[in-house]
Amino acid sequence: MKPLAALAALTLAIQLQAQAPPRTQVFSLPNGLKVFLLEDHERPLIRARLHLLLDRASGALRPGLGPLALRMLEHSDAGNLKAGDFHQLLAGAGIELAPSLRVDGLAWDLVARSRDQDLALGMLADRVLRPIFDPSILEAQRLACWREVERAEASPSPLKLHLAPEPNWTLQAPTLDGLAAITYEDLLAFHSRMSRPDRAVLLLHGDVGREQARRLIFQTFGTWTALPAPATPVASTAPAPGPEAEALLALLLPGDPALLPVRFRMEGSGPMATLEVGTSGPAAAASVMLDRLQALRRRGFTEADLHRARAAWSAGRALVALHPEALLDQALAEARGSAATPARMEALTVEALNRELQRWLDPARLQPGALPASGR
Amino acid sequence: MRPLLPILLAALSLQAQGPRLAEVQERRLSNGIRVLLVERRDLAAFHAAMVLQGGRAEEPSALAGANDLVARALFGQTRPEDLDAAKGPGSMDALLQEEEGILESLRQEGLRRRKDPASTSQAPALEAALQNLRRALKARSSAAPLADLYAARGGRQTASASADALLVQTELPAGAFEFWCRTEVQRLSILQLSRFSEARAALAAELRAQGPQGLALLRGAALPGHPYGRDLADHLPALEAMRRSDLRAWARQAFRPDRLALVLVGGIGMETALPLIERTFGALPAMGGGEDPLLPEIPADLGDRRIQASLGGTSTLVVGWRIPARAHRDHLALRMAAQLLGAGPSGRLAQRLVRQKGLAQGVEIGLDVPGGRLPGLLMASLAPAGGKTLAELEAALHTEILRLQQEPIPTDEWQRALTQLDVDQLRIQDEPGALARTLGLAWAEAGDWRQADLELQRLRNLGPETVQAAARAWLKPSHRTTLWLQPGTDEGQDPLEIETARVLKALAANRIEDLAQREHMVSEGLRQLRMLSLEERRRTLQLLTAQLPPEKR
Repeated sequence: MKPLAALAALTLAIQLQAQAPPRTQVFSLPNGLKVFLLEDHERPLIRARLHLLLDRASGALRPGLGPLALRMLEHSDAGNLKAGDFHQLLAGAGIELAPSLRVDGLAWDLVARSRDQDLALGMLADRVLRPIFDPSILEAQRLACWREVERAEASPSPLKLHLAPEPNWTLQAPTLDGLAAITYEDLLAFHSRMSRPDRAVLLLHGDVGREQARRLIFQTFGTWTALPAPATPVASTAPAPGPEAEALLALLLPGDPALLPVRFRMEGSGPMATLEVGTSGPAAAASVMLDRLQALRRRGFTEADLHRARAAWSAGRALVALHPEALLDQALAEARGSAATPARMEALTVEALNRELQRWLDPARLQPGALPASGR
Repeated sequence: MRPLLPILLAALSLQAQGPRLAEVQERRLSNGIRVLLVERRDLAAFHAAMVLQGGRAEEPSALAGANDLVARALFGQTRPEDLDAAKGPGSMDALLQEEEGILESLRQEGLRRRKDPASTSQAPALEAALQNLRRALKARSSAAPLADLYAARGGRQTASASADALLVQTELPAGAFEFWCRTEVQRLSILQLSRFSEARAALAAELRAQGPQGLALLRGAALPGHPYGRDLADHLPALEAMRRSDLRAWARQAFRPDRLALVLVGGIGMETALPLIERTFGALPAMGGGEDPLLPEIPADLGDRRIQASLGGTSTLVVGWRIPARAHRDHLALRMAAQLLGAGPSGRLAQRLVRQKGLAQGVEIGLDVPGGRLPGLLMASLAPAGGKTLAELEAALHTEILRLQQEPIPTDEWQRALTQLDVDQLRIQDEPGALARTLGLAWAEAGDWRQADLELQRLRNLGPETVQAAARAWLKPSHRTTLWLQPGTDEGQDPLEIETARVLKALAANRIEDLAQREHMVSEGLRQLRMLSLEERRRTLQLLTAQLPPEKR
């Protein structure tokens, strides 16, 4: 009976392993890279996100620099691969690697079969750490970047207003002159200042065990060293102001009758209000929009609203597991200390909630207009 | 120990099998509703997709846009007033009926004033009555934030209409499953449509703002007279004339239980879910004798068609080939052909036309445009690179199609396409929403959710020669429609079309009373005429003009 029992135990162990919910494991490399692993062996798939924190002192806030740098990286050779071969190799293994501009930095999202994890992480490292910027493609990429800005600005409807409680570099659409002034050297300097392991976080989710992950990440990112330039203190490592209030406002604002016909939604670039431009034209629509937002700002929320929103937030946490990307978002927020926590949520007062609402809807912080697709 | 080894190996190999889409449990309720459940015990939430078979393709012309309106006015938000079943004076339903009456009177008044601008207008009085009524409606609606019943429970709902189905996707914590069952059944039973007038106005405004669309032009030319070829923008007057009661009556017929599937993925088990579903959804009355509407057949061999249009924006070449429905034996091979041609930056078109030849800025490939239940289109859309013409791009595209049909497909390219399909399937399995949607649409389009899984297995066994044979059979000139979208706008650039529109409107005014039907007839006529050569269009205009009384020529 012993072998039978062993077999049963083994089968059960396999099944339990397959069904265990992801739990976060954290470790760091000697170069300072922090790794957050969410082990999940349910499917033979891995997802990764490499997040580089915005260095506000590096000139990164210059409009257009981020989107242009991402374009250049996308079209440059990487490691020992030509740009075309790099894309072919990714496609051959069915690996998806997508860059994005985020409110607090740059990120690369990766999806691959777990059998291709070595290759996939190696290519991610090549793309971010070992790009070979090709000056001959700079003008083409600059033009493509400008076309994207033009396209975004050409769409007249719906009218959009970004609510920007904090300075948000992804909302800074470049002018033609500003874009033209970015030099090849600016791009190199931007990359070397952003690309620092001590400010990076690597999130791994999926079919990879802790030891395997450690080995793999050490191999691919272990040699990553920052330039000796002094690391300036990075403000956003501190908890972002009011993640709890932000989470509740994201629940309370959509569908608030006081806003209608203005719509509200959360986008990658932050909170946004939109309104269809009717026959009365964009100026009238803008006036209606500002009027509604300010009416809501004056009204604020009540204690009962706070209770309802808190309960909704609490219940909605279960939904994160339905979305692997949301799991990564949550893990990143936790890693950066900007995640809402149940304890702080419980302590949040209606006054603090309304203070945050005041900031969100401050007319001086509202930013009109559309954004190019990379401005996410 | 020896006999245990094979068992152990078998147990381990089960874990390592090639990807299957999901372990689906299926039940059928007595009223015909299908329930598909994929249990994920590790999740504390669930994703529910309600798939209502039919979609835009089955809408009657007079109710074009019905699915879109239902998606906006019935689903998406879940406010307490949507679930208010009260009838009689003062009820939400009575107020909405009253609103419908005033809106219809306003519409009639507008038509009357167009015919007789000198007559006294009743519009101000009607507008005032409408404002009063809307205040009463607003007073009945929840004024508090987070009034949405799902949002208040941490959940959300989205709804979208496609050519083949109306898809309503909801996510909630697992503990709210019973609440979801009761809410959706109540919603379907009451069909309150409290946001109807707002949704209709928003949809009409969007259609007006977007103006003519290249894809709609292509669909109309490639699938003439077929519901898949319909452009909702051509039915704008009918949409604006649609009443809440019309939509309700249509929805009662269209959303029959036997045409509804519930696809559930998440932390709920069949043993607990099924009794609840039977008590709630199972109580929806079965509608005997309902038959699926007969939709017109369209021959694939309609001939090579071409259209040119100037809609503003940038130059674009759009080519569509009529292909068979998803259930057809060649469809899978065409799916692989689309994958080879257009799978991202490694697809043939991106490789050859964008990277190697520098002819195009970008390439997009679409399969089953606009749907897969009936014969639709495989579509390629290409934007020319600077200094390149649409003619050059078109020639290069046809060369690539010929190469696909005639030259052996390299093994590495074939393998790459298979790998990408594999990864796509893994991602679908990994995302409950995507899995529910995939299973639901396989049922709506192919008639069986199992197709989603079977197709994957069959794709792996497909040979390159099968793909080439299908490409030769379907991607040929007689199945093709080509659209050249050029920069600039139609205004002042195509006097022939402007004159044709004037003559058609004058002819229609003599024969068709209903303004909505008249405008639809003119739009459809113009669309058909765009497919003729310039000389044929001139002759047609002469013939049409000859039918007008002399004073109107």
